[in-house]
Amino acid sequence: MLITELKSKESILSLVTGKVFIINCHGCKEVRFPEAEAEELEKELLASGKVTGVLTTDYICNPENLKLRLERRKTMIAEADAVLVLSCGVGVQSVAEFLPDKKVYAGCDTYRLPGFQGVTPLEVNCDQCGECFLNLTGGICPLTACSKSLVNGQCGGSKNGKCEVDPNMECGWERIYRRLEAVGRLDALKCPVQLRNYATDKDV
Amino acid sequence: MKISELFDRGEFVVTAEVGPPKGFHLEGVIEEAKTYLSGITAVNVTDNQSSVMRMGSLATCKLLKDAGLTPIYQLTCRDRNRIALESDLLSAAAFGIENILCLTGDHTKLGDHPGAKPVFDLDSVSLLHTVRLLESGKDLGGNDLVGEPPKFAAGAVVSPCSDSVDAQLAKMERKVMAGADYFQTQAVFEPDKFIEFMEKAKQFGKPVQLGVIIPKGAAMARYMNNNVAGVHVPDDMLAELAADKERAKAGITGVEIAARVIKACRPYCQGVHIMALGWEKHIPALLEQAGI
Amino acid sequence: MENYTKYRLKDAEELSSVLAGTDKIFVVACNKCFKEFTSVDEPDCEAFVKLAEEQGKTVTGSFKVDFLCNRIQTERKLAGVIPEGTECVFVVSCGLGIQTMAELVKKPVFAASNSLNYTGHHGMALTKKACDACAQCFLNITGGICPVVDCSKSLLNGQCGGAKDGKCEVDPNKDCAWEKIYRKLEQTGRLEEFEKQPVQLRDYNKVNFKVISEYVQSIREKRLDGYYGGVHPSERKEMSEHCPVEVFPESDIMVIPLSQASGKPANPIVQVGDHVKVGQKIGEKAGFISAAVHSSVSGEVIAIEERVHPATRGGLSVVIRNDHKDTLDESVKPKGALEDLSPEDIVKIVEDAGIAGMGGAGFPTSVKLVPGKPIDAVLINACECEPMITADHKLLLGYPDEVIFGLRAVMKAVSSPKGIIVIEDNKPDAIELFKSKCEGLDGIEVVVARTKYPQGAEKMLIKRVLGRMVPSGGLPADVGAVVCNVSTVKAISDAIQLGMPLIERIVSVTGECIKNPGNYLIRFGVSAKDVIEACGGLTCDDVVTKMGGPMMGIPIPNVDVAVIKGTNGIIAYENDHTQEVECIKCGRCADVCPMELEPLYFNRLLKDGNIQGLKDMNINDCMECRCCEYICSSKIPLVTRIKEGKAAVRGLN
Repeated sequence: MLITELKSKESILSLVTGKVFIINCHGCKEVRFPEAEAEELEKELLASGKVTGVLTTDYICNPENLKLRLERRKTMIAEADAVLVLSCGVGVQSVAEFLPDKKVYAGCDTYRLPGFQGVTPLEVNCDQCGECFLNLTGGICPLTACSKSLVNGQCGGSKNGKCEVDPNMECGWERIYRRLEAVGRLDALKCPVQLRNYATDKDV
Repeated sequence: MKISELFDRGEFVVTAEVGPPKGFHLEGVIEEAKTYLSGITAVNVTDNQSSVMRMGSLATCKLLKDAGLTPIYQLTCRDRNRIALESDLLSAAAFGIENILCLTGDHTKLGDHPGAKPVFDLDSVSLLHTVRLLESGKDLGGNDLVGEPPKFAAGAVVSPCSDSVDAQLAKMERKVMAGADYFQTQAVFEPDKFIEFMEKAKQFGKPVQLGVIIPKGAAMARYMNNNVAGVHVPDDMLAELAADKERAKAGITGVEIAARVIKACRPYCQGVHIMALGWEKHIPALLEQAGI
Repeated sequence: MENYTKYRLKDAEELSSVLAGTDKIFVVACNKCFKEFTSVDEPDCEAFVKLAEEQGKTVTGSFKVDFLCNRIQTERKLAGVIPEGTECVFVVSCGLGIQTMAELVKKPVFAASNSLNYTGHHGMALTKKACDACAQCFLNITGGICPVVDCSKSLLNGQCGGAKDGKCEVDPNKDCAWEKIYRKLEQTGRLEEFEKQPVQLRDYNKVNFKVISEYVQSIREKRLDGYYGGVHPSERKEMSEHCPVEVFPESDIMVIPLSQASGKPANPIVQVGDHVKVGQKIGEKAGFISAAVHSSVSGEVIAIEERVHPATRGGLSVVIRNDHKDTLDESVKPKGALEDLSPEDIVKIVEDAGIAGMGGAGFPTSVKLVPGKPIDAVLINACECEPMITADHKLLLGYPDEVIFGLRAVMKAVSSPKGIIVIEDNKPDAIELFKSKCEGLDGIEVVVARTKYPQGAEKMLIKRVLGRMVPSGGLPADVGAVVCNVSTVKAISDAIQLGMPLIERIVSVTGECIKNPGNYLIRFGVSAKDVIEACGGLTCDDVVTKMGGPMMGIPIPNVDVAVIKGTNGIIAYENDHTQEVECIKCGRCADVCPMELEPLYFNRLLKDGNIQGLKDMNINDCMECRCCEYICSSKIPLVTRIKEGKAAVRGLN
């Protein structure tokens, strides 16, 4: 799952020098889309008379429907020098693929919600590493709970149980230690030295 | 000379820390080390400490060694992946550097290049494991090394006065399991806590060097209390530092406090490690007052 | 479509070592998501149970669940499922599900599976990597080809030089991304622009878990505010919210359907040729759930005939030629002071005035006013959570005293000590007005609710305001509440204070394709066609026209249909052409369903002809709010399917 944030106004305006067609994607809006900021930008561009058309829609990563919708707006797109897409990187690339001869610009930066692949964006807690460490940690993911994603215990940088990077964040390994203690599994810490396998990507 | 051999012989091992400069002129550092650190066993050379970019630890170690000192090469896992770390260990062996200290390292966000990629491919435990593996003639990829394998005295760190000592001990045990030869501790200001910790750490049978910082004043002590992991300067010491600012500024109070801590802890540890943080000039006085 | 699997069982060797030392295990397995949704069952659970049993372990039971990571739903589904004597729980799921279980279960929880790395697989791009979410999109410099994903080394400043015959050094089957980028830039004439780019550096500090955590927390707050699920469609109310309410002229010919409320159509009590007056009853209530209908003009009845109207249940309409004299019927006179009316009197007045819920559902209000159970709160739904529509907002601003009077009447009718007017926070002027009007009024308060659709639905409103859960198949009265739409209580006020039955209402005529949007007071029987024309007509021809809002409104492809009691809006917006694709089990419908149902199953089970399954999954609890269809990434017409499913379930009984 991805979340998006508008690029800085200067950087967007520097891209939009000529006429522009704007595409807003609201598909993941319930997770996060900078709707208000996008609207403000759109108003500004509209006022400058640069906009040939606007398409506010959803799931532009769905190629069939994207095609249907873009085809209906062919003329407006043809009039534009560039297409500005306000969506995640997947959406921008879908549009770029469909309009091979057009300048297609990304108006947003895309952030990952690490670990969110299910349906409820309530927890940020799985990094899809392909070599689940949860059995050694009492069910708390050391990759997402620890700023350094350490797999052999805490770095020692925590102060009062808080992470050295963010004093509002609990030290992941202290949480793990407490959890293991609570379920009587401290022996899990006696497991062999753990090494990450960054090659797991290939297995997918 | 490996400092593990000294521990084996029952010697009380004194080490101190030096930080490479942000530049490549090392003359000042070597001069200072020669002047104030000649009486101690070995010097730790920090590895981009606090994630602030500086001259490399390995080259600094080599130059200190050429100047007649015994360096301890600190390696953190923040800036290099396993290939670079293994490679640097072999480079160290080639330079005759025999002492290393394995650390995870501070996060990149804390330093002067917050946008840098934090690596942490390995961590302190797996780095120790890697050292022992190289010594067996293998690398992490499972390949054989060519020729004689390297041999190091591999140290690790622990925080005895941390707010969660039990978790610290668990991690220490993992480091022992992975092959740590000796430990240096985070700075201690509370001998009682240290002694209590050592009672529990005894079981691992590994030498532990007491970490010591000479406090430069009440403000610095308070800063450490608020910001430095595992360090706590108790109120009475704070009061002592605050009582006479001039005396504290001159280092007199700080040296007294540090010497007291060393004396109290000495029966329970196998050495001291001094983090002078620029006050290298006070090290000889400290050692003298502590009776070492 | 390929299956895109989230997790895979750990290999037997690893599982054996994890199993060693455990016994009496319970297995929880997630049915996977983001996959072609063909079968309900996944094989991994059985495979693991078999392996555990082969190791001589006692398996105390197993449980398969969808979207295990959905903590709220999982907690509910899991209640009482794990039997006594279970020592530990093995979870077959991705890391999210495993951690959800680790939090919910106070026993040791073990992972039986590995989550697969899918960095880059997002949106509908399930089987290919397309975005690495690096937080500093480089697509603008590379002609829309991602260098972070497509280049094996994620280089930002051009190719590494390792490519051989245009293929990557890491994978000879893969095109060198930078060669692709180069060609693309060449093709679009952007090479020069690229050459001038400054050196690019990744800023790893930008992908900041703190920023993300803050996002997640704000989302959590918004998503779960008041009740589970719901969505936040663009409000689009700015088109008509500044327009004052204008009286819309009556037509020469008025077509008044006799079926304007849920239940039975009214029986006509006039004949062709009769002269009728404003407020005269022309249709008599025909059953317990039914509402009377009145003439909205004076004139001559010229026909009583079938007229097609998508928003009614069919039946007859009374066609009246308006004499434009607006002669009032003799029955239209004030019904006296509220203090002098008994609850029964009020119910009778409401019944005689033909009042039915004006929020859209059109349930006869007089029936609601005899709940048969003790009521301690009357909620006035002034949320108007439907996008675009501003009719209730205008009514709040124009008729605050009538609304409060109507509320008092309802409170008296159902003997409720408390009345609560619920307004969404996107109407600050109405909130301010009502707060000052209600100050010092005994038993009446104003509650401001954070905007979320479908807040105005009875059950959601009750949950949000009173924190009570109407049971499955139950009514608001079961939890001591009565909910009325704000326009409905204004109609009650008119029926008592003026004696005027329900013959007109405020309608928002709006949408991007209406030339001059506005709010109008329209008599029932006026054709939507005339209204649209009076508003300047449609701005383009490929439009969707609806009576009501975009979410729950009813499509009126032929706009020549009458405005009726439930018509809060006449809207026209651009047709967003879509075609249905296969369900990818993204689970969003389950995430947004305020009734906590799993709409994806209604589509699946209907396809399979499993009608009992539909019933078992409580299809009848669905209130057709359309959240699921709105969020569906595959554009499946879920509400249409659900309606079919409900009809099929009715056939079962």
